[in-house]
Amino acid sequence: MSLLKSTYVLLVYCFLYLPIAVVVAQSFNAAKYGTRWQGFTLAWYEKALASPILVEAALNSLWVAMLAATLATGLGTLGAICLFRYRFRGREIMRGLLLALMMIPDIVMGIALLVLFVALGWALGFWTLLIAHITFCLPFVVVTVYARLRDLNPHLVEAAMDLGASEWRALRAVVIPLMAPAIAAGWLLSFTLSIDDVIVSFFSTGPTFEILPLRIYSMVRVGVKPEVNALATLLFIIPFVFITLSQFFSKEEERT
Amino acid sequence: MRNVFSFRNLALTLLGGWLALFALLPNALVLLTSFLRRDERDFVAFEWTLESYRLLIDPVYVQVFVHSTLLAVAATVGCLLIGYPFAFILARQTPSRRRMLLLLIMVPFWTNSLVRSYAMRTLLAAKGVINEVLLWLGLIDKPLRMLYNDGAVVVGLVYVLLPFMVLPLYAVMEKLDGRLLEAAVDLGASRLQTFRRVVLPLTLPGMVAGALLVFLPGLSMFYVADLLGGAKSMLVGNFIKNQFLSARNWPFGSAASAVFMGLMGLLLVAQWSSRRWLGQESNEL
Amino acid sequence: MKKALFCVVWLCAALPALASDRQVFLFNWSEYMPDAVLEQFKEETGIEVVYTTFDNNESMYAKLKLTGESGYDIAVPSTYFVSRMRAEGLLQKLDKSKLSNLQHIDSNKLNQPFDPNNEYSIPYLWGSTGLSVNAAEVAVDSVRSWSDLWRPEHAGQILLIDDVRDVFSMGLHVLGYSANSTDSLEIHRAYEKLKELVPGVRVFDADSPKMPYLNGEVNVGMNWNGEVFQAVEEGADIAYIYPKEGAMLWMDNLVIPSGAKHVEDAHTFINFLLRPEIAKMICEAIGYASPNKTAIGLLDEAVRSNRTVYPTEEDLRGSEFQNDVGPAIAIYEKYWELLKTGH
Repeated sequence: MSLLKSTYVLLVYCFLYLPIAVVVAQSFNAAKYGTRWQGFTLAWYEKALASPILVEAALNSLWVAMLAATLATGLGTLGAICLFRYRFRGREIMRGLLLALMMIPDIVMGIALLVLFVALGWALGFWTLLIAHITFCLPFVVVTVYARLRDLNPHLVEAAMDLGASEWRALRAVVIPLMAPAIAAGWLLSFTLSIDDVIVSFFSTGPTFEILPLRIYSMVRVGVKPEVNALATLLFIIPFVFITLSQFFSKEEERT
Repeated sequence: MRNVFSFRNLALTLLGGWLALFALLPNALVLLTSFLRRDERDFVAFEWTLESYRLLIDPVYVQVFVHSTLLAVAATVGCLLIGYPFAFILARQTPSRRRMLLLLIMVPFWTNSLVRSYAMRTLLAAKGVINEVLLWLGLIDKPLRMLYNDGAVVVGLVYVLLPFMVLPLYAVMEKLDGRLLEAAVDLGASRLQTFRRVVLPLTLPGMVAGALLVFLPGLSMFYVADLLGGAKSMLVGNFIKNQFLSARNWPFGSAASAVFMGLMGLLLVAQWSSRRWLGQESNEL
Repeated sequence: MKKALFCVVWLCAALPALASDRQVFLFNWSEYMPDAVLEQFKEETGIEVVYTTFDNNESMYAKLKLTGESGYDIAVPSTYFVSRMRAEGLLQKLDKSKLSNLQHIDSNKLNQPFDPNNEYSIPYLWGSTGLSVNAAEVAVDSVRSWSDLWRPEHAGQILLIDDVRDVFSMGLHVLGYSANSTDSLEIHRAYEKLKELVPGVRVFDADSPKMPYLNGEVNVGMNWNGEVFQAVEEGADIAYIYPKEGAMLWMDNLVIPSGAKHVEDAHTFINFLLRPEIAKMICEAIGYASPNKTAIGLLDEAVRSNRTVYPTEEDLRGSEFQNDVGPAIAIYEKYWELLKTGH
C-alpha cells in the first residue's frame, strides 16, 4: 500500500473507532462529569452491574434475542428450503414480501406492528416484542440459508429419497447437516440484529418487559451518566465475540 | 403430495401464515389507518377521509420532509465519498490482510447503533474530547459548539451507516477483474477514462445497494436526531414517532409512513431495473 | 454444534427464572425520584419498583393509552392532565383506607378543582418553570424576565423545555396574557412571538434540562427549579431566576391507571411516598417542593430556606398554576408542532 492509501485507510478506521475508544476509556475514568482523566476506576461497572433494573433489562435482551434467533432460524430455514425446492402459487409474493421485509425502514415496521397489536388488543410486552424480533430476523435467515442451498448439489436430496428416505428424513439426515454452517450463521445474524434493535422494539414492547437498548436510550437522553459508558463498553464486546465466533464457523465451512 | 401434513404443506403454511399476519397485515392496517379520521379517544374513527394526505402537502410539513431528505442525502453522499475509495483500496489487498481489515469494518457494523450515536456525542460535546484536545493545543480558546445542529446529525448518520455503504461496495469491487483495468490502460485510456468507463459502471450496483442501505435508515433513525440534533432537526422517523407517541394523530403518522413505504418501493424498483439494465441478475433469493 | 445448541436451550430455560416476581411499574418523569427511595422500599417490602421515564405529559398520556390494560401501575401526570385522564376513564379510584399517610399532606394542596376530594390523585411534588443561566458565562443580573431571552446576544445559546404548555406559557406571559389562555387569538400571538425565538434555540430538552447547562452546551434559557437545585448540589454555577412576568407553577400527582395489575402494591408504594421521612428524602435529593407539611417541618434548614425550592411570595408575583385548558389544548398542540417543525 502506498503511504497515501494507508493513511486514508487509517483515517477511516480512526473515524470508526475513535468514538468507541473514547467511550471505553471514559468507562474507566473516575470523573463523574466531563472527559478529563481523573484516575482509573471500575466503579461504573460495579454500579451498572449492581442495578437490578439494568441487569434484568440485559437478561431480557439476551433472552428475547436467543428465543427470536432460534425461532426465526427454524422458520427461516424451513422457508428457505421451501422456496428453493418447490414451485408453488404465491412463491413470487413470498419472495417479494421477504425482500421488502429486509429493506423496510425500521420506523415503518415498528409502527405497523404497533398498529396491528393495538388493533388486535394484544398487550405490549414480551410476546409482542418476540413476534416483532422474529419478523425482522426472518428474511435474513432465509437469505443466508438460501444462498447456501443454491451452492448445494440438488441431486443429494433426490438420491436420498430414491434410497427410500421420507422427505422429513432426507431433510434431517442430508440437508440440515450440510446447511449447518449457514444455519449457525443465520442464528448469529439474528441474535445480533435482535440485540441491536432500538426502533422496532421501541414500538413493540411495554413496561413489563424492558430491554437493555431501550433502557440505555432513556439513560442517554437524560444525559451522560458514567455507568452508561460501562454498559456501552459491554455492548461493544458482544459483536466482537460473535464476529469471532462466526469467523470460526465460516472457517469450518471452508474446510468441509 | 401424500398428505396434508407433508413437510411442504406444513412449512409453507407456517412461513406464509407468519408473513401474512406479521408483514402483510400490519402494513395493510397502516394504509387503512391513513385514510381514516383522527379520533381523540380511540385513536381513529371509522370515517373515510383524505385529510391526512391533504395535511402532508401542507407547506410546513413538506418543508420537514424536504429537510429530512436533504439530511439523508447528505449522509448518503458522505458515506459514498468516504466509502468508495476505502472499499476500492480494501479490495486490492492480499487475502489475509483483506480478511483482517474487513473484520475491523464488521465490528462497528454489528455494534448497537444507539450506543455508537452516543459515542459520537461524547466526541462532539462542548466538553467532549475534540474540544478538550483543541483547547489543550491552544488552537481555540472557547469550546466549539458542534452538537445540536444539522451538521452533527449528518456526521452521526455517516458514522453509524458507513459500514452499510462499504460492505456492498466491497462486494462488487472484490469481483472487479484487475485485468479489465490493465486492458483499458493498454488500450490507451487515461486513468480518469478507465475509472469512468470501466470501474464506475461495474461498481454501480454496489453504489446503488449501499445508497439504499444508507438513505432509508438515514430518514428513519430518530434517535440520531434526538441525541445529536437536540430535538430540533427532525427526520421523517422523528416525525412519525411524534405523531404516534405524542401528538396521537395516527392517521397522519400512518399517511407519512405509507408515503415512506411508497418511496422505498420506488427505490427498490429503480435498483432492480438498474440491475436489469446492466445485465446483472439479482443473486439474492 | 450439539453442545452449542444444548447451551442455548439451557440458557433459554434458565433465564426467566431470574426475574423478580413482586414488581410495581412506575411511569415517572426523568430524574424525579432518587434511587435510594426505591431501594429502601424494596428493603422494607420486597417489592421492586420498575421506574420507566417519560419526558412530557403528552407522551405519558399517549403511551398510557397505548399500553392500555398492560403495564403501568402508577403514573405521575401534572394537574391539568389528571382532569383529562380522569374524564376519559383512564384512572381508577384510590382506596384511601390504604393511604394512612395522606394526613400529612397540606390541605391547601388537596381537593382542587382538577380532582375534587382527591378521588383519583395524590399530590407528589410541585415546582416551577423559570429562567436559569450559567453564571460563569452570562451575568445573572442581566437576565430578569422572560423577554430577556429574545435579546440577540443569547441567540444560539438558549434551552427551551420540550413541553408545549411550558413554552407557550412563557410566550403568553411575555405578551401579558394568562398562561392558561384559551383564546385562540392570544395563543396565535404567543406562537408568532415564540417563532422569533426558535432560530436561536439550541436544544429542546425535557428529560433533564440541567445537563446541557452542565455540559456547557447552553448558557441561558428555561429550567425547572429542581433541576437547578440538583446541578448546584453537584457544584455547578447555575442560577435559577423567577422571571419578572411570573413563573409557571405546576404540581405532579400520583395516580393509578385503570389497567394497573398491581393495585395493592401500588397503594403500598404511594403510602410509602407519603411518609414524612421519605417525602423529606425526596425533596432534599431532587429539590422540588413537597406538599407534605410534616415533611417540610423535618427538612434541612438549607433546603427549606432555599428560594429555588421554596420560593417566597415576592418570587412568585405574577406566577400562575397551570390548569386544564380544555379543548383549547388542540390549538396549543397544533402551534407547538408548527413551532418545532417550521424552523
